[in-house]
Amino acid sequence: MTAPAAGTVEMTIRFPYKRSLGPVIGAFMTGLASQQILGIRNGAEVMCPPLEWDPRTGKELQHDDLVEVGPAGTVVSWTWVPKPSAQHPLDRPFALALIKLDGADTSLTHAVDAGSLDAMSTGMRVAPRWKAERQGHITDIEAFVPGEEPQGLDDVLPDEPVAMMPYNAEIPYTLPIAVNTLRNAAALREHRLIGLRCPVCSRTYAGDRAFCPIDTTALTAEHEVELPQTGTLTNYTIITPVQYPGQTETEPFARCMILVDDSDLVLGYQPVIDLPVDQVRVGVRVQLVWGDTDIDGWQPTGDPDVDDPDLVNRIY
Amino acid sequence: MASSDDIAIIGWAVSPMERRTAKTEQQMLFEVVSDAVDHAGITRADVDFTVAGSCDYVAGQAFSFVQNIDAVGAWPPKRDSHVEMDGAWALYETWIRLLAGDIDVALATGSGRSSTADPALIYPMEMDPFYLAPLGADALSFSALQARALLDAGKVTERQMAEIALRSRTSAKDNPHTQVSGEFDLDEALATDYVRAPLRKHDLPPITDGAACVVIARADKAREICQNPVWIKGFAHYSELHNPGMRDLLTSPSTTLAAKAAGLDEAPVDFAELQVAFSHEEVILREALGLEDDTPVNRSGGPLAANPVMASGLVRIAESARQIREGQGRRGVAHATSGPCLQQNLVCVLEGDER
Repeated sequence: MTAPAAGTVEMTIRFPYKRSLGPVIGAFMTGLASQQILGIRNGAEVMCPPLEWDPRTGKELQHDDLVEVGPAGTVVSWTWVPKPSAQHPLDRPFALALIKLDGADTSLTHAVDAGSLDAMSTGMRVAPRWKAERQGHITDIEAFVPGEEPQGLDDVLPDEPVAMMPYNAEIPYTLPIAVNTLRNAAALREHRLIGLRCPVCSRTYAGDRAFCPIDTTALTAEHEVELPQTGTLTNYTIITPVQYPGQTETEPFARCMILVDDSDLVLGYQPVIDLPVDQVRVGVRVQLVWGDTDIDGWQPTGDPDVDDPDLVNRIY
Repeated sequence: MASSDDIAIIGWAVSPMERRTAKTEQQMLFEVVSDAVDHAGITRADVDFTVAGSCDYVAGQAFSFVQNIDAVGAWPPKRDSHVEMDGAWALYETWIRLLAGDIDVALATGSGRSSTADPALIYPMEMDPFYLAPLGADALSFSALQARALLDAGKVTERQMAEIALRSRTSAKDNPHTQVSGEFDLDEALATDYVRAPLRKHDLPPITDGAACVVIARADKAREICQNPVWIKGFAHYSELHNPGMRDLLTSPSTTLAAKAAGLDEAPVDFAELQVAFSHEEVILREALGLEDDTPVNRSGGPLAANPVMASGLVRIAESARQIREGQGRRGVAHATSGPCLQQNLVCVLEGDER
């Protein structure tokens, strides 16, 4: 039998953050919602974007010593983005630039919607183009545009000061699947439970472990053993679900550590079947229940519980 | 002559450098750790402290370093630490720990599979979360802004940038641990489109999967185990403020401070291995380190030839140790960097025994 080649899996991780803004960044974002760009005094200088501290010395600045800057400014440096990413503020080619707004001594990073690379130059003058729908976010300025005149001015003010900021990014990943994981998945599809026996210490690990953690020895197909589909519940937790993105459970549920018979390492975070949360306990004998392609959970065998006071310590 | 408080590099390993490896990060680490302890002439059991450098955003998994411990080896239970930094900073932590004097041998790793995702989507995650990340501002775009600042100031030309890339990739021809090597035609390269103006493809590092491991020991142990230890003469790192819009992009004061603290100016160096991921950065770093014009830089090819993010800085230190051991110089300097536009910089000065 030849081992399957390692494959890959594609998945997307989302980062749906809500960030507290604090007194200075909050004031800046509230300003953006009002079509005002604020800097903060730092000695004789004005910093825009503003920070709560002097980033060179760590000295706390007077948080309400804010001054309006711009709205126009000068491009200090720039690059051209010919193929925008999903995270960029514009979906057509644009410049990313360091812009020193009039009245500021530091540069704001933002997009310049210049149409083409040839329209960009260091020292050129730019002004903001405001979005109509503003929420107190750096992208309330859709982009800067060449010239002195801001675009999209209106008289809409935010209902209240902006204190929080949403940040949503997502990254699609292509990750390798180790050969042991592929073999384990194939076994599970055939409703077989396999393990890997370390050639040095003879400990047996259920599942797809790549290395014996005791001997730092690589575990490969030749170390594979067939395991019985029974075991003992050694420890558990009852989870009362909080509704965060991705959580599909609504009622309290158990996640259990199962020590598979003839193996040395518990399987973690296993679901149980036909065992109500108020009856989950250490020592219950369980057997595997198969889903189509994977373990569905573990169900009581009906045999007497294992009475071993050390069992609860088996969390690994 | 080294004193008993000195610390030396006694072994190292660098993985193959590939655009996309079929190995997991755990497997890459297993191999470089096994090779590095072999190279040092010891076993994992002889190692008293391990530190890993890696990044969850690159790995695509939260707490990815936890399962990597199995590959490094932590039984019986071992002192272990992790930095969400290049492995060069992991090595710095092992060095600081050995200075305490109660343990003798430590190893540091750096590992990254940059092929897991689009760098343009990963690297904004390391930026200021209020002002920069929401614009999708990534390391490549910021490097282009720094290159433009240098060009505008007359400190470099686009041709000189291409020459740095050409020299690096030509040097890389002799390095088995490299990804992109060989000569290219300068005029043809300069006629190509910009990827991020003023940066062209040749000014950029390749996307590389790779790992490295370096083993260090206190002097007495190093002498006992090793014929020709490579001494760490100085080791320091400094950071600047984060937002590139608040910095002078023409210089790297943190590099200069780190070099001073590491004693770089106490004697001339025979070579430098610098974490130049973008061609123009060599100009800034040469000046910030005060290198002579004829000091060879990145004879390994450097990150322009292979850039395993999170290991790229540690590879500079391993490469420097190799060059000293192979007699290509007695004193050298390795540099690592992190953050947009060379925000944070590390300098490690290495020396071989007098011959």
